[in-house]
Amino acid sequence: MAKILIIDDDETIHLIGRAYLGKAGYEVQTAFDGPEGLEKAAAFNPDLVLLDINMPKMSGFDVAKKLRENAGTKHIPIFIMTSLKQDSNIQRGYGLGIDDYITKPTNMAHLKLKIDKFLEKHKRP
Amino acid sequence: MLEFLTQSPHFYDYVTLGVLFLGVFNVGEILFLLYNKAKVERSELKRGNLKRLAATALITATDPAELLPPPVAEDEFAAYSEAIASVLDSFEGEVAVKAAKLLTDLGIDGHYRRLARHRTWYKRGNAIDILSSFRLRANREFFLAVFRSEPSTDVKYRILYGLSRLTRDHAEIRELAELLSTLPYLTAKYTEDIFFNIISALKANGREEEFGLFLKEALDDKKVLNLVKRDCLTACHAASCEKGRSVLKKYYEAHEEEPEIQIAAVRALAKMGDFVLIPPALRHADWRVRLTALKYADLCCTDLLPEIRCLLRDNSYHVRLAAAMTMARAGGAARAALTEEAASQDKFAAAAAAYALTQGAA
Repeated sequence: MAKILIIDDDETIHLIGRAYLGKAGYEVQTAFDGPEGLEKAAAFNPDLVLLDINMPKMSGFDVAKKLRENAGTKHIPIFIMTSLKQDSNIQRGYGLGIDDYITKPTNMAHLKLKIDKFLEKHKRP
Repeated sequence: MLEFLTQSPHFYDYVTLGVLFLGVFNVGEILFLLYNKAKVERSELKRGNLKRLAATALITATDPAELLPPPVAEDEFAAYSEAIASVLDSFEGEVAVKAAKLLTDLGIDGHYRRLARHRTWYKRGNAIDILSSFRLRANREFFLAVFRSEPSTDVKYRILYGLSRLTRDHAEIRELAELLSTLPYLTAKYTEDIFFNIISALKANGREEEFGLFLKEALDDKKVLNLVKRDCLTACHAASCEKGRSVLKKYYEAHEEEPEIQIAAVRALAKMGDFVLIPPALRHADWRVRLTALKYADLCCTDLLPEIRCLLRDNSYHVRLAAAMTMARAGGAARAALTEEAASQDKFAAAAAAYALTQGAA
């Protein structure tokens, strides 16, 4: 069972993410902010991180940077999921080595398909 | 009075009474604060539970309104509206449709519409903000009606913000721009946000070209303030509105006396990969326009090198430095020229070139 970590300060995203992705057969864990997300990423070793940008304590960009700097988490694919649509943010995200930049509002059915395809292509050995 | 107290045989009784009174007052104050803290915590917990309940009902139930207790108190309305606004902001598709339906089924939309007519201005403003977050197209006419009767300018700004998220075509943009012109100019950020929302709403509905039409109409419209035109172009840049591309050059040409509009036009076009305005902007009389052009000059073409090199001797320190940085970024022949300039007799040009070369190396 593939594992997904959702890092977002909005509990509604956690609930909806858990329900949809859980029903699709993924094991989902959630974190409310950057430090908690980094801790969980190291312990849970997810196959994919869904990451928000605007969060308390640490921005999503900083979380992505830290994930990439840490030897134990640098291999984890990151999808940024945010309502920030400006090109500068998209460029900054890809500059940090994220794998996809998804803007809200997101269609959960489409997101699930995207995750399915991505994880199928990047299956861990 | 002080003399009377100090000479009184009951002086120490008065002091004791005073101290006792202060002690009782402090204890009362602490109890009051603790009671309020517990009240806020209870309310937060209740709101959290209701938000969770609403989100769960939206995912699990076909008709979530059947599962949820109808809101009665203000914090219940707030909890539901927060959960629903968050869903509408983050998701589209089935769950968003159910969330929007829940607003009418539970009477949340109606509740905030009533509050939008409240006698206290900040309650009206808050209700408008919440209604805006729902982005219900059905609220457009309501917003327009409230705008006409609203006495507070603060609330009017919020109504326009709400309207900007519901825009569908250029006639509606025009209407909004006219309403905006009835209010005093607030800030560049506010106006830019309004137009950014408009572009985002149009993009979401696949009607981005409507903004291009509006830009064309606004070009010669004297009723639209130049400041508003500038913010409009800045929003175009921020929201990457490709459909306004053809008219941006016309804005540059038509506003020779408005460098800020020209800067916005140069930036917006350059962001779309169109560098047609860079050569004239490098020769512009206003140093801010020259500076903006230099930021993109290394991306456009190599035959601009002589002009950029001349700007190493510009009157403005910022332009000289930007010219040197542009040459350093461009690399190749430009960098070689920069190395020559570092040994130039012109101290200003040499200093800028040397700085850019060290920055490049770093």
